[in-house]
Amino acid sequence: MRRMSVFPQHGTALGNLGLTANEIRQETENNTSELVSDLVNLSARARFQAIQSLHMPFNEKKTIRNRVNSVKLSKTILAADCRQQVSQSFRRFRASLASARQHLIIWQGTLKEIGGRFGTSVLSYFLFLKWLLKFNLFSLIINFCFITIPQIVHAPNISSITGFRGLELLTGVGYFNQTVLFYGGYNGEVIVSKPAYNMQLAYFFTVAAYLVLCGVSLIYSMSRSFQKNFVLETGPVSGGAWRLLCSWDFSVVNAKAIQYNKNNLAIQLKESLSERLQEKNKMSLSDRIKHLSLHLLAWLLSLGLALGSGAGIYFLGTDPELAFSFNHDPSDLGAEASTLLLPVVVSLINLIVPLLYSLISKIESYSNPRAKIYISIVRNVILKMSILGILCFYWLNFFPDNISCWESFVGQSVYRLLIIDFIFCLLGIFFGEFLRNVIGAMCIQSLGVPEFDIARNVLDLIYAQTLAWIGIYFSPLLPVMQVLKLFIIFYMKKISLSMNCQPPKHTGRATQIQTVFIALLFFPSFVGALSMVAFTVWSLKPSDQCGPFQGLDTPFHIIFSWTDSLPENHWVGWIFENILRSELFYYLISLIVLVITYFLWQITQGRKQLIKTLREGIVNEGNDKAFLLNKLQNLQKERREMASYRPQDFDQTPHFNPNWMNTLPLDM
Amino acid sequence: MGGTSSKLPKDLLSEYQELTFLTKQEILMAHKIFSELQDRENGLYSSRVSMEKILTLPELKSNPFRKRICHVFSTSDMKDGSLSFEDFLDLLSAFSDSATLEIKSHYAFRIFDFDDDGTLDARDLEKLVNSLTGETDDTRLTGEEMRQLISNILEESDIDKDGTVNLSEFQHVISRSPDFVSSFKIVL
Repeated sequence: MRRMSVFPQHGTALGNLGLTANEIRQETENNTSELVSDLVNLSARARFQAIQSLHMPFNEKKTIRNRVNSVKLSKTILAADCRQQVSQSFRRFRASLASARQHLIIWQGTLKEIGGRFGTSVLSYFLFLKWLLKFNLFSLIINFCFITIPQIVHAPNISSITGFRGLELLTGVGYFNQTVLFYGGYNGEVIVSKPAYNMQLAYFFTVAAYLVLCGVSLIYSMSRSFQKNFVLETGPVSGGAWRLLCSWDFSVVNAKAIQYNKNNLAIQLKESLSERLQEKNKMSLSDRIKHLSLHLLAWLLSLGLALGSGAGIYFLGTDPELAFSFNHDPSDLGAEASTLLLPVVVSLINLIVPLLYSLISKIESYSNPRAKIYISIVRNVILKMSILGILCFYWLNFFPDNISCWESFVGQSVYRLLIIDFIFCLLGIFFGEFLRNVIGAMCIQSLGVPEFDIARNVLDLIYAQTLAWIGIYFSPLLPVMQVLKLFIIFYMKKISLSMNCQPPKHTGRATQIQTVFIALLFFPSFVGALSMVAFTVWSLKPSDQCGPFQGLDTPFHIIFSWTDSLPENHWVGWIFENILRSELFYYLISLIVLVITYFLWQITQGRKQLIKTLREGIVNEGNDKAFLLNKLQNLQKERREMASYRPQDFDQTPHFNPNWMNTLPLDM
Repeated sequence: MGGTSSKLPKDLLSEYQELTFLTKQEILMAHKIFSELQDRENGLYSSRVSMEKILTLPELKSNPFRKRICHVFSTSDMKDGSLSFEDFLDLLSAFSDSATLEIKSHYAFRIFDFDDDGTLDARDLEKLVNSLTGETDDTRLTGEEMRQLISNILEESDIDKDGTVNLSEFQHVISRSPDFVSSFKIVL
């Protein structure tokens, strides 16, 4: 569509060309009638959106719309008018739906307040938290409806060996042991009711469907975020100056925060300037070797710490004193409390080692502050994932052979880890932020008010969510705890933020870091949890005395027995036997995907070439315009000189703006 | 539109909904705030609110571009930055969540164009950087740094190499900054 974007108010640019007032009016009238005829030819919905997106003042938009409507009216017949009414009412319905949805969004006012005081990067942490809350809420609802309610209604078998003591909330054993909180509380009977409800299939499919939906949603968000934020970077190397300027946050309204942002922006601009200058100075060889060896040393130290923590946890876990002692004597409170030792150690490691990492990174020197953030994120992720990996390995290798009802035990371990992590988080808010604020403000002024460290907080959230995903199979009602936890953390963090912290200093590239976080949530976190659950379902023998899959070889065998029980030539059975179980299908799919990827890659290459050519074309056009401008100026000069000889022949030429060329559209 | 608590007639409301990006609640809230501003205007009833009154709003009070915003959205003949209710709605619509990237970048361009000549030349860019950095001496950029910064900016965005950034070049560079859409927002 023709762009009306060019002429500023009332065609002032045209005034610079030396046209009279009548000609200006004629030109704008031509533009308007072209715009109206363009709009008339669009469909109703596209026209509505196009009028909304015109950048004109309100009254001019109204005039355009009225003109379009009158032209349309003269063209259409009555039947089309009815269609227009229907589409209009449909549009109003959609608008009212959107505004109703706004009411349902929780925390709307709170989020706006946080964004107003601290900016969009801190807001992104809270939005991430809200997104995780949605995942857990969804999981809770489907688990509750499809698995827990049938179990409770049809086969209540709560045989509480011990009464309820307070320690259960922390350790998850005892009273909770046989309830529906854990895997062991479910049995795999086929509930005899009008449509027979097979609990085994229900359990399997609910967990599988939830994980698949999570995966799809994560992939979708990740690709959309990637597309928006890592746009093709062609052309001159962006020093980031425009990016810094355009990231000025208009939604911040607090005067002090704005002053703070201005100072930050000034510092960042100066930093980026000095970065550009530094790039021009090449470092000497000995300097480079020194930097490289420091980097290597830092990496070795970090990986060594991660490995050491992993080994420590492994040996602590396999310590025969602590490991299975509880399993034998349910009324021994001391032994039960000692099961809390492992989660406490894990949380302590998660707290202390990142601090060590930030100390280590001080010895390195980075050319790019963003590289520093990414490298520290990578190290923390390696630490957390290796801890989780060791724990999963330990659980899946030792428990099935040594403990009866081992799935419940795994569920209880996950439960303990989550609870202790929650407690440590609250303690961290208290000590890390509140006390540090008090110390920084009153006692040691130079320490300063603590900054809100987005990366560390988001990684904590990702860690907790990984645990929750691992625990879904072993403890279907675990999302309850996760939902409560996220709720409480939201409010605590918000209060702590307003009372104690100041916004982070490096605010640029908030959306790029967000893409990285979503990618981290998908790749090590979700994929790891999914592979662990898949391994359990595929190859481990379920326990014989409890749970819905008693007596089977692996839980996956439930699918085989189900397809065997289906009538002959049933389409589900056919799909399962011939498509999902045949290797040829997977080979074909992989081949097709590879071919499509190759084609798309070629198209991308072609487009890059096209962009380069177009850029060169624009530069040439600029040169042409400069040439024409010069020529016009010379002509005007000649005209004026001749006018000074014979003034009666020439009109008065108005003031000439040499930059008028720039106000014309660049039709690419 | 007169009186202390006048209600917005329904057909006007639906017209506003149709021609701007605002939802019904946002329009009603804007109407409420605008009426309050009008009532406190001493003197005769007028449908325009002066720039000084608009700048008392908490959302605009400390914004570094508050005066430019009022000038850009004002349709008054006297060019004094006063806003009528429709201008106010235009302002909120351009800064709302659902406004398109093209609208936002168009208005951002006009706001940053301090001398209103349709392009961003070196003087406009210098004023832009000065409004966004602090006013105190230690945060201000020195002359040398400013020159370097402006030449970096032009190198990055001036495609036709004429020394100024026009609207198309500005929109092109904005499309590569994904933070822009989420930061160019003012919500009542």
